Amino acid sequence: MPKKLVKGCNAIAEAAILGGCRFFAGYPITPQSEIPEYLAEHLPEVGGTFIQGESEVASINMVYGAAACGVRAMTSSSGPGISLKAEGISYLAGAMLPAVIVDVTRGGPGLGCIQPAQQDYLQATKALGHGGFRTMVFAPHTVQEAVDLMYDTFEYAERDRNPVVLLLDGCLASVMEEVEFPAAKELPAKHPEWAVGNFDGTPRARRTVSSLAGKEAMEQRNIRSGELFDSWEKNDVRVEKYMLEDAEYVIVAYGMSARVCKYAIQQLRAEGIKIGMIRPITLVPFPKAALDELDYNQVKAIIDVEMSLPAQMRDDIALQVKDRVPILTYGRSGGVTLMNEETTEALKNMIGGMNK
Amino acid sequence: MKNAIIFSGSGGQGIMSMGIMLAQSAVESGKHAVYLPSYGAEQRGGSAKCVVIIDDEEIVSPMTKYAGTFVALSDTGYNKFIDELEPGGLLIYDSALVTSKIERDDITALGIPAGDIALEVGSPKVANVIINGVIIGLMGIVSQETFQQSLDLKFAKKSEEVRALNRKALQAGIDYANSHR
Repeated sequence: MPKKLVKGCNAIAEAAILGGCRFFAGYPITPQSEIPEYLAEHLPEVGGTFIQGESEVASINMVYGAAACGVRAMTSSSGPGISLKAEGISYLAGAMLPAVIVDVTRGGPGLGCIQPAQQDYLQATKALGHGGFRTMVFAPHTVQEAVDLMYDTFEYAERDRNPVVLLLDGCLASVMEEVEFPAAKELPAKHPEWAVGNFDGTPRARRTVSSLAGKEAMEQRNIRSGELFDSWEKNDVRVEKYMLEDAEYVIVAYGMSARVCKYAIQQLRAEGIKIGMIRPITLVPFPKAALDELDYNQVKAIIDVEMSLPAQMRDDIALQVKDRVPILTYGRSGGVTLMNEETTEALKNMIGGMNK
Repeated sequence: MKNAIIFSGSGGQGIMSMGIMLAQSAVESGKHAVYLPSYGAEQRGGSAKCVVIIDDEEIVSPMTKYAGTFVALSDTGYNKFIDELEPGGLLIYDSALVTSKIERDDITALGIPAGDIALEVGSPKVANVIINGVIIGLMGIVSQETFQQSLDLKFAKKSEEVRALNRKALQAGIDYANSHR
């Protein structure tokens, strides 16, 4: 199939359909409104259902309803909308329902601004809702990677009976890039055995989906969440190691920031600076080993680069690096994005400052 | 980035579609391309900006501030972004709409009466296609044939008349470039 130039949002929406999405409910918010716009047009073409809810809260609860019936369901939003959906996401986790949440981040806090940022790292990776649960968080850095990750999210969600998050900054949502789409997935032949709704008309016992449980049952679900988290760390970590072999300076960056850092690394390498990068593709599970196993006799510093002030990923990095080398941070924030030239210069100055 | 092109003008001039068309036809001719719109509450009459990067190699990052080519179709756009044109770069501007004096002497500048040429061609709406014709004529990033195909595809649902008008506009732009090298 020839490559096509496609906008990030549209590509993700198409990948969702190809990955089996058959239900979407959401409420518009920049910079992700093209996702519902695209799905409104194309989801019905495959027999799916698109609903623009009256609010974010209504939308996430519609996703809960569809997921409870065993339908591949998703929503998408940005910072303020995700905050509103937090309750519903927690309920999804509580009821052990698979669903996909696409979180396209913009500047905040509050209503913030419509321009891109990466300030919802902590919200997405640590506290997407109340209670004892975690979710897998995927963080693509190109439109193609966003397509490839989105395509598989429903299967992760179903495997774990747990929500999955695709996290990307507004830059990636609005950039147009070359994309090659995979073939449409075959939908599972049967509805899951836990799903409500009698689709085949055969008599069977009543099923219940609920996030309400007695304390013993609730603890069992929490224990299960912990076990899921451990299994992700063991089996599902994805990370790109970029020019690390001889690196004395190691950047940690994800999403569009990692693209900017790749540009900077190429420039700085041409000037003889030995610099490389660890790029988490999964933020949960975080690529701990990649950081822990660096040769700290060779590495002089770790540099956390994010479109977030204050830096949010730094703590996850620090847990692995411990006190072995200094951890520096660089970022722009609040809708001011990282730019190739400025970031290159800033990194060069930081490294120069260390060697004074 | 030398191979980056900044397009700027006012909302409604077709700035974004100029960028998309160029990037699209680059991809269709087997090159790598990215298109990044500027962020803001863009509207008719407001300022519009986008960046297109076209390369034979995969594009590492689209987040470039500086470009080797700058296309300005409004005076506001010109003044806002002229500093983002690299030294030695190429400025292509609408000579009727950019009224400021071109002061930088470290660049090559080419003014085009795109509005006038568009009227000659038959519609003020095709000024952006004329400019794209100039870009293709001067820079040769994509062939006229490939761009023509992309253009025809874009207007596939419109009448043959519209497609013919756009073809004529593209040719006019390329002719202008050829006579002003």
